[in-house]
Amino acid sequence: MIRNLAKENLIALVFVAPFVALFGLLFIYPTIAMFITSFTDAPLIGAGKWVGIANYVRLASDAKFGLALWNTGYFVLLSVIPGTFVALLVAVGVSRLSGWTQAIVLALFFLPYILPVSVVYRLWDWVLNFQFGLAMHVLDALWIPRVPVFKTITWFMPAVAVVTIWWTAGFSFLLFLAGLRAIPPEIYEAAALDNSNGWTTFRKITWPLLWPVTALVLTIQLILQLKIFDQVYLFSVGGRPNDTMVMVQYIYVKALVNNQGGQAAAIAVSLFVIVIAISVFQFLLLRLAGGDDSK
Amino acid sequence: MFKKLFTATLLSTALFASSAFAKETVAWWDFLGGGDGVRMKQLISDFNKDHADKIEIEATTLEWGVPFYTKVQTSSAVGEAPDIMTYHASRIPLAVSQGILQEITPDDYKTMGLSKADYPDAIWNAITQDGKQYAVPLDTHPIVLYYNKDILGKAGLLDDKGIPKGLNGAENFKAALGKAKAAGAKWGIAGVTADGNFMYRTIYSLMGQQDGELMTDGKFLAGDNPKKLENALAVLSDWTKSGLQSPYTDYPSAVALFTSGSAAMMINGVWEVPTMTDLKAKGKLFEWGAVELPTIFAHPSTYSDSHTFAIPVNKGKTATPEKHAAVLEVMSWMDKHSLFWATAGHIPAYGPVRATDEYKKMQPNATYSPLTANMIFDPKSPLFGVAGPVFDVMSTYFVPTLNGEMDPAQAVEKIKTDLGKM
Amino acid sequence: MTYANLQRWNLAGGLVTVLTVLVAVIWAFPLYWGVITSLKPEDEVVRPVLEFWPEHFTFENYISAITRTQIGRWYINSLIVAGSVTLITVFTCLLCGYAISQLKFPGRRILWGLILASFMVPTQTLIINYFELMASFGLLNTLPGIILPQLINPVIIIVYKQFFDSVPKDFREAAVMDNASEWRIFYKVFMPMNWGVTAALSIVCFIWTWNAFLWPFLAVSHAEMMTVPVGITQVNDSFGISYAHRLAAAVLAGLPVAVTYLIFQRRVTQAITLSAGIKG
Repeated sequence: MIRNLAKENLIALVFVAPFVALFGLLFIYPTIAMFITSFTDAPLIGAGKWVGIANYVRLASDAKFGLALWNTGYFVLLSVIPGTFVALLVAVGVSRLSGWTQAIVLALFFLPYILPVSVVYRLWDWVLNFQFGLAMHVLDALWIPRVPVFKTITWFMPAVAVVTIWWTAGFSFLLFLAGLRAIPPEIYEAAALDNSNGWTTFRKITWPLLWPVTALVLTIQLILQLKIFDQVYLFSVGGRPNDTMVMVQYIYVKALVNNQGGQAAAIAVSLFVIVIAISVFQFLLLRLAGGDDSK
Repeated sequence: MFKKLFTATLLSTALFASSAFAKETVAWWDFLGGGDGVRMKQLISDFNKDHADKIEIEATTLEWGVPFYTKVQTSSAVGEAPDIMTYHASRIPLAVSQGILQEITPDDYKTMGLSKADYPDAIWNAITQDGKQYAVPLDTHPIVLYYNKDILGKAGLLDDKGIPKGLNGAENFKAALGKAKAAGAKWGIAGVTADGNFMYRTIYSLMGQQDGELMTDGKFLAGDNPKKLENALAVLSDWTKSGLQSPYTDYPSAVALFTSGSAAMMINGVWEVPTMTDLKAKGKLFEWGAVELPTIFAHPSTYSDSHTFAIPVNKGKTATPEKHAAVLEVMSWMDKHSLFWATAGHIPAYGPVRATDEYKKMQPNATYSPLTANMIFDPKSPLFGVAGPVFDVMSTYFVPTLNGEMDPAQAVEKIKTDLGKM
Repeated sequence: MTYANLQRWNLAGGLVTVLTVLVAVIWAFPLYWGVITSLKPEDEVVRPVLEFWPEHFTFENYISAITRTQIGRWYINSLIVAGSVTLITVFTCLLCGYAISQLKFPGRRILWGLILASFMVPTQTLIINYFELMASFGLLNTLPGIILPQLINPVIIIVYKQFFDSVPKDFREAAVMDNASEWRIFYKVFMPMNWGVTAALSIVCFIWTWNAFLWPFLAVSHAEMMTVPVGITQVNDSFGISYAHRLAAAVLAGLPVAVTYLIFQRRVTQAITLSAGIKG
C-alpha cells in the first residue's frame, strides 16, 4: 500500500468539509426539523406543543388537502407524458435538419426553457388574455368560442400544463437530441439497405435505442412536476386559487398565510413521502420495462 | 455560534446605517397600484420635499390583496415589517386578532392634532376595536357607476344635465343595457367578471339594497339573507347570460373595455377616476361621468371600504421615539393634505378637507358624493375584510356564477356550506 | 448530421422538415409577440384587431419600467445571488465530487448514498424550515438569506463525481508513482481536464438560480431586496391599463439569461445533457 491512509483521510476531509457543512445545515437539518414540526402545533415562527399525529389525522378529513393532492396528480398527468412526447417529436424533427437551420430551430425550441417563470407567466397571461390575447384571435378565426383559460376550473390545469410544456420541453428535447445523435449511423445504413421506410426505422431502431433516454426524461419530469408551485401560484392570483391549489402551494398557504407551521409541515411530509415513493417506484418500473425492451 | 456571528454582522451594519443617515427614514408599504398609485407617489414626494432634512419616506408598492397582506403578516412575525403601511379598514378586526397592528393611542392622536371629531362616525367605528384605535383613516372609497356620455346620450339615457336616467330597478337597468348595446356599444357594461374578489363589492352592495346582511348576530346568512344573495347574483349573472355584460373579464381588461368605448358603462371603484382624467387630458377619452350605483332593488346602497394608515407590530423590535414621531407626522400630514388624494376619486376621511370649497366643487366627486348617505361597510368580525376568510370563500363562487357555469341558488348553497365550516 | 444525411429525401421527409421549421416559428411566436407588444403604446395594445407590428414604436414602457420600478436594484441583487450561488455550489461540489470519486475515506459510501437520495427529495417541502432557519439567523430580506437555501444542488455533485469516475485510473497511478502529493494530483492532473465541465455547469447553475422563484419570493418582503423574477410580479408600479408596461419589465427580466444562452449555446447544451447523466 503506497497510500498513507491517515493523510488521505485528512485531505479528503478538507475536500468534503465545505459541501458537508452546507449539506448538513441546509438539507439534513431542515429535513429532520420538518418531520419534528409536523408533530407540533407550531406557528410559522417559534416552537409549538407536541400534538402527536393530530396534524395528520386532520389532513385525512381536510377537503382542501384532498383537492391539492388531486390537482397535483392531475397536473403531473397533463404535463409529464404529453411533455415527453412533444419533446421527442421535436427532437426527431430537429435531428433531420443540419447546419445553421438546425442551430436556429434548436434555439427557437430551447429558448423558453432558459426564461424565468415570471417572464413565462407574463407572456402567456397576455397571449391567453380573454379580451385582447393573441390566442383568442386565433380561436375567433377558427370560429371556436373564446375560452377564459385561467378563470375556469376546467381549463386552468390544462392551460398551465401547456404553458409548462412550452417552458420546459427544451430540457427534455436536448436529452432526446443527444440520445438520437448517439445512435450509430451504421444501424441506419443497414436499415436503408433493407429498404425499411422511415416509420419502420423509427419503430424498430430509433425507439428501442432511445428508450433509456425516454425513461430518464420521464423520471426527471415526474419528480420535477410533482413539486409544481410557481406557475400555478402566479396564474391563480386574482382567479380561483382555492380550486386550483396544488400541494406546495397548500404548504405555502398554511405556513405563510394561515401561520400554521405544524399543519403545513404535515402537508410537506406527505408530499415528501409521495415524491420519494413515486420516484423509487418509477425507477424500478422503468428499469424493468427498459430491460425487456432493449434486450 | 452561527447566530452570534450573524447578529454581530447585523449589528455592525445597523450601526453603520444609522450613523450614515442624519434624518429619519420611514419605510412605507402600500398596495396602491391602481389608478391612485401615481397620486400617492406625488403626495409622498411632496411630503419628502416638505421635510427635506428631517424625514424621508421610502415607499414600496406591493401587489394588492392577498400578496400584500401575506407579506405584512410574515414580515411582522419576523420583525421585518415596515414603519407604516396602508391598510383596509375592513381588515382591521382580523389584523387585531392576529396581533399585527399597534394601537394608535389617544396621545398619538393628540400629537398628530387629529381626533374623533374629524372623521365620520362609520369610519371611526371601523378603525376602533375594543375601544382602541388601530389606524388613522385616510379616505372612503366606494364603488360607482362610470358611464360613456356619447353612447348613453345616443341611447336616450341621459337627462339634460348629462346624468343617466331610467336606470333604477332591475328591469329598467337591463333594458338600459340593451339600449346602450343597440346604440353601438359592444357591451352594455364592463364587469370584472373574472375576479371574484372584485365582484364582492358589487354583490354586497346589491344585498345592501335589499337590507341583506352577511352576518346577523354572529350567524352567517341568517333568515332570508340567502335569498337576497341569490337575487343579487341572479341579476348580475343575467346580464352576462343576455350578452349585456362582458364575461370572464379581468380587472385591467374591464377598464380597457370601458376606456376604449367597447362598453357603455362600468362598475368600478372611485380609484379609477384618475385613469379617466388622465386619458381625457391626453385627448384619448370620450365624455364620461360617474354616479352613485343605480338602485336595482329596494333602496340605494353602496359598499365601501376605507384606506387607513396603520403601524405594524414588529416582533422583537420597538421603534425609537424619533421614528415613532416621524411616522405620526407622516400620517397627520397625509390626512391634512388629502385634498390632492381626492383627485384620485376618493372621499377624504378628514372632515376639514371635505369642508373646503375646493373639495365641494371637485368633479366627478361632487356628483357621486351623495352616496355617502347610503354606504355600507363589512361586518366587524375577524372573518371579514379584504382578502379575509369570508371574502375568500365567497369570491371562489362568484366567477362561475357570474359567467353562467353555476346556478345562483347552487352557489349560495355552497357558500353557506363553506361559511358554516368556519 | 449523419442521421439526416442518410435519410432519403422523399416527400414525407420534406414534409416533416417543413413542419418542424413551421412549428419552431409558432413555438417561438409568443416570445416575439411579447417583445412587440412591449414596444407599443398602451392604447395600441388593447385595440380589437391584431397588429403584428407597432404603429408607433415606443420605448416609453421600458423607460417607465426602469424609472418607476427598482429593476436596476433587482438586477444587482439577482447578479449577486446567482453569482454567489454558482460560485459556492460549483466550488464545493467540485471538491466533494472529486473526493468521493478519487479518495478513500470512511463514510464515503454513506455520503454518496445521502447525496443520491437528496436528488429525489423535493426541497420545496423544506420551505417552512428554511423560513424558520433564516429568520432565526436574522437573514430574511438579506442577500445571504436568499443565497443559502439555494446552495444545495445534488445534480452538480453527481455530474462531477461521474466525470472524475470516467478518468482512466492510469492518470492517478502515474502521478502517485511520481510521489506527487494529493494536492498536486488534484491541482495539476485533474483540474486542467475539468474546465469544460466546470464552465458548462457554472452557466446552467447561473441560469437556474437567476430564474429561481419560490424561495426568493418567500424570503423577501422588502422591494429593494427582491430579485428580478420576483420583483416584476410582486411590485406594482403601474396604473390604469398596463399590459405593455408589464411585458417590458418581463422582457428586461428575461434578457440577461437569453443573452447568456445565445452566447454560450454549446456549453448550455453540454451542461443539460451532463446534468441528466448523458455524456455530452
